[in-house]
Amino acid sequence: MEGLFFNVNAGYVEGIVRGYRNSLLTGQNYSNLTQCETIDDVKLQLGPAYGDFLAALPPNPSTSALAGKMTDKLVAEFRYLTAQSTGSTAKFLEYLTYGYMIDNIALLITGTLHERDTRELLERCHPLGWFETLPVLCVATNIEELYNSVLIETPLAAYFKSSLSHQDLDELNIEIVRNTLFKNYLEDFYNFINTHPDFSGPTQDVMSEILQFEADRRSINITLNSFGTELSKPERRKLYPEFGKLYPEGSLMLSRAEDVEGVALAVSANADYKSFFDAVGLNQGGGLGGMGGGPADGKSLEDLFYQKEMEMSKLVFTRQFTPAVVYAWMKLKEQEIRNVTWISECIAQNQKERIGNFISVF
Amino acid sequence: MSGAVGREPVFPTRQSLGLMKSKLKGAEIGHSLLKRKSEALTKRFREITRRIDEAKQKMGRVMQIAAFSLAEVSYAVGGDIGYQIQESAKQARFRVRAKQENVSGVFLPQFESYTEEGVNDFGLTGLGKGGQQIQRCRETYARAVETLVELASLQTAFLILDEVIKVVNRRVNAIEHVIIPRTENTIKYINSELDELDREEFYRLKKVSGKKQRDVAQADAEILAARQKAAEKEAENDAPATAAPSTEETEAPDVLGEQEDTDVIF
Amino acid sequence: MASAATYKDRQFLAVIGDEDSVTGLLLAGVGHVTDGPDSQRNFLVVDGKTETSEIERTFQNFTQERKDIAIILINQHIAERIRHTVDTFTDPFPAILEIPSKDHPYDPEKDSVLKRVRRLFGE
Repeated sequence: MEGLFFNVNAGYVEGIVRGYRNSLLTGQNYSNLTQCETIDDVKLQLGPAYGDFLAALPPNPSTSALAGKMTDKLVAEFRYLTAQSTGSTAKFLEYLTYGYMIDNIALLITGTLHERDTRELLERCHPLGWFETLPVLCVATNIEELYNSVLIETPLAAYFKSSLSHQDLDELNIEIVRNTLFKNYLEDFYNFINTHPDFSGPTQDVMSEILQFEADRRSINITLNSFGTELSKPERRKLYPEFGKLYPEGSLMLSRAEDVEGVALAVSANADYKSFFDAVGLNQGGGLGGMGGGPADGKSLEDLFYQKEMEMSKLVFTRQFTPAVVYAWMKLKEQEIRNVTWISECIAQNQKERIGNFISVF
Repeated sequence: MSGAVGREPVFPTRQSLGLMKSKLKGAEIGHSLLKRKSEALTKRFREITRRIDEAKQKMGRVMQIAAFSLAEVSYAVGGDIGYQIQESAKQARFRVRAKQENVSGVFLPQFESYTEEGVNDFGLTGLGKGGQQIQRCRETYARAVETLVELASLQTAFLILDEVIKVVNRRVNAIEHVIIPRTENTIKYINSELDELDREEFYRLKKVSGKKQRDVAQADAEILAARQKAAEKEAENDAPATAAPSTEETEAPDVLGEQEDTDVIF
Repeated sequence: MASAATYKDRQFLAVIGDEDSVTGLLLAGVGHVTDGPDSQRNFLVVDGKTETSEIERTFQNFTQERKDIAIILINQHIAERIRHTVDTFTDPFPAILEIPSKDHPYDPEKDSVLKRVRRLFGE
């Protein structure tokens, strides 16, 4: 049934996204890219996929400029999709941008806290997290004003209201604020996917899985990264999204974990995560402490998470009648930008031996 | 040479000759000491220069690795953390302290890096993702900065040594080319003046003794003549023989007599 | 010769550099912001829009006014923009160190100190 009326509203968008997906770089493209000697070569290789967007770059551009232009293309395509979508699909796309908005607002909060001119920060904001009223937030000169403007002007109000007061913005570390917001966002998104009648069916299936993974990944990362910092266990626990494959037993164990082994134990109930931890070994502990040169085999836990995310995103395209493909495409595109940035960084800095450390799923 | 260097404005006396001689001796000792110091410093200087060269090369590599680890961070975080880092910086964790090292009497500063414990501005950065890469990046950069601090020590030592060596060399040159020749000149001058004085003195003495001899000879001749006269007079008549001493006697009191007269008048 | 007072309280490093260099060095923990209303940072991010005069002012501030800075790290390509000022600053404290940046590899030919080294040895 779910497919019956899907195409009426979202068929075009889905078609477009599938077209976009085909323009993603493939393993062949990547192996060509790794053969490049200069950034100009990289630019040339990217020509078919990115076309006009790279034309404005000066000869031998910096990697950040290159990544910026690639992001521009992603943004342009995403905006086109947003413009074409209606109803629940539009709402879904809006949800996708909230993650970026959180980053942008965290940036503005940082700026306001330090009494910088926040207008200068606008250009640093991620374009996908841009919303019309974002510049309004710059008017705020102190954190209380900012807090109120956020509540009034942004779609993120709900995430703030439930768990943060304006004093919190002042006192808590910005990273805690950011992660609290993200947690609320993920929970809200998860809830939205699972309760909206339009999404019962494939969307709910795939998005639940992806979001659960995202939630688990955040929980694990937060736990790992909080070792050796002032973040207390109860505070840490508050940052875990309250769903996901690890929730609730795994989360509880995570919140009690004191070292990497504890984390490994907490996630061992899940075969996927267990295999990640087995793959990187427990030397991650060394990685946190004093290992400088990166893991010897080139794959860190984080890489494995990305890998998994990409595989999941790839699988999304096997489903039809769902806007989840947009999410998947965005993630794949972002990874592609990261890959290209990595490759060009390796080329620019003459560190070819680790150039293969990117994630390609096609 | 002597015209360019000149000499000290001293009186050519034996005392100043002694002073000048000890001054020359002092200057020579000072010269050799300074020369040795300058050599020691130059040796050190060359060593430092070589090490700077090496360290600068090393810095290039180290900074490259560090920059690369930052690239890893941006790969893992998937975004720009620059602004956040800049804003969350509050207390320096990585500081330096300077201590001194004594090289031939020159105090060279030596920077020593240390980390202020308990200060951690970026502990939670990358909490959601990328935290491990950030951690690694911090370590890589901390090591890079240590290299930089080492290089900074060398460089400061280089600048100070450069300055000191210049000063020492200037002193060495001054002693070698100005003070020593000038003192030597002065000694030469004093010597020549003293010799001149000696000669003059000798000549004067000779003159004096010649005059004296002449005077003595004259006096002798007069006495002789007088005696001869007296003898002649005695021989001519007896009376003048007694009269002659009386005239001599009257002559002397005559002078005295005049004085007595004036005394009397007053 | 430097007397003890001139460097005993110098304990910070200052950075003038592009965004990546500054970020990295701050990660290492060199960043310091003084307390009080006129809080001063010991780093400056230079991008395409930064005026040369501002770089110069910051450089002067770090070298002349602040007495707590032991070492100034400056990206070589930025030092190049204020080369004259860098060249004329010959005091041993604070030490000026030209560092490479990501996009500009290190060129010993341009380094003020290395230039002096070369000149000294007549190379």
